[in-house]
Amino acid sequence: MSSDVAISIQHVSKLFRKQNQRTFKELIPALFGGKKVAESFWALKDIDLEIKKGETIGIIGVNGSGKSTLLKLIAGVSQPTKGKITTVGRMAPLIELGAGFHPELTGRENVYLNGIILGMTRAEVDAKFKEIVDFAEIWDFIDQPVKHYSSGMYLRLAFAVAIHTEPEILLIDEILAVGDTAFQAKCFKKMDEFKKNKVAIMYVSHNMDSVRTFCDKVLYIDDNKMAEFGKKDLVLDQYLSKI
Amino acid sequence: MIYKYKELLSELTKREIKARYKQSVLGYAWVILNPFFQMLVMAFVFSKILRITDLGVPYALFLYVGLLPWNLFAASITSSMNSLVGNGSLLTKIYFPREIFVISTILAKIVDFLLASIVLVIFFIFFHQQVTLNIFWILPIFLIQQLFTFGLSLVLSAFNLFYRDIQYLFGLILLTWMYITPVIYPTEMFPEQYRWIFKLNPMAIFINAYRQVMLGGGLPNFTSLGIALGLSLVMVVIGYKIFKNLEGMFADVV
Repeated sequence: MSSDVAISIQHVSKLFRKQNQRTFKELIPALFGGKKVAESFWALKDIDLEIKKGETIGIIGVNGSGKSTLLKLIAGVSQPTKGKITTVGRMAPLIELGAGFHPELTGRENVYLNGIILGMTRAEVDAKFKEIVDFAEIWDFIDQPVKHYSSGMYLRLAFAVAIHTEPEILLIDEILAVGDTAFQAKCFKKMDEFKKNKVAIMYVSHNMDSVRTFCDKVLYIDDNKMAEFGKKDLVLDQYLSKI
Repeated sequence: MIYKYKELLSELTKREIKARYKQSVLGYAWVILNPFFQMLVMAFVFSKILRITDLGVPYALFLYVGLLPWNLFAASITSSMNSLVGNGSLLTKIYFPREIFVISTILAKIVDFLLASIVLVIFFIFFHQQVTLNIFWILPIFLIQQLFTFGLSLVLSAFNLFYRDIQYLFGLILLTWMYITPVIYPTEMFPEQYRWIFKLNPMAIFINAYRQVMLGGGLPNFTSLGIALGLSLVMVVIGYKIFKNLEGMFADVV
């Protein structure tokens, strides 16, 4: 792998087993009745690409085409059935923001908790704390339990923590619709900053306009396969003409 | 390896501890009050109604020495089983070794246990219970108990992710397990022809050993403790293998 590659995806396929029986009540008759315990299907077939540092890749495709599965594989939470994925550097998954938040804990406590979950040290969170809360614009509520936050405040704080982890790879799944217009603009500004700082970004979205303005290249996944990968205008036009 | 994640481990443990009692008025006092009242009720039933006597020590003391480690075991297993399911949103989002969820859950329960043990210390003073230096054997016994708990928790937490029945099934098993462990009664009351169960039941070995070193003032039965250590190590090795083999599928099935 050359030194400017951030993510290398080599002929990756993912077979999913649909577990039809989640309880013994369903499993035991199925075992005796000779029914299939699990059905499987390919969620991704032979995905092969390299993402260089500083590149922003848009991932498009209809629901269920395998976009989110690909992000999970890159994040390392799910293992490919075939092929290999290598990533270099700290990763910040902006997927399901605030997944590690605990509603009973205060904003402050959750910032530390989530920062450390995302791979920061306590000292790093200390150093960035002011910046994070400034970015989220949440000083008045920082010592309130996050269960009292509005959904916008919740997401803003989670987003602020994630982007202050100094990621080298950013995985974004349809979450830039966070907060109001002003906050969105701020997010995109931050994203541009990341691009300048050579962060590799994978951006899953159904919003073609944001993909067109924000990404360098586009990966179009159709029927769980790579339908197209390349210059954004080419791929986007092809996608739009197809649907 | 785990050392690299020590901050994460401590943060998740703190979350576990802080979050649980934040909404209750008495807060963390419940950790002490719960086993205390459980002990009072049981002590009344078994020393006044069913009359377990001739123990050489007050029944309340005898019971508490067994009940606290048993409660720790039961609570650790029950919470560990849910630790992966409960953290489902994290499982599908970011990778770190998944056993950290199990370890942080067990650590939080150990903190509870230590707090609940304050009452035991007060009991020792109150009943003027004499102790010998052999009391320090509780440390190795405790460590072996934690090994066993950890190994079993790894298996159960992983299985429970695939079939949620495991937690209900194991609830029943735990109930039965408590009665075939000398928690509320002394070994001598158990029918002799079935007493071999205690030899293979690590929890029975631990609890007898605690009583031996804390109340009896003697040394633990090293043969039994050796068996328990062996079983615990096997449990950890097997548990870890199973857990790591299934780990790659956690995010897919949760």
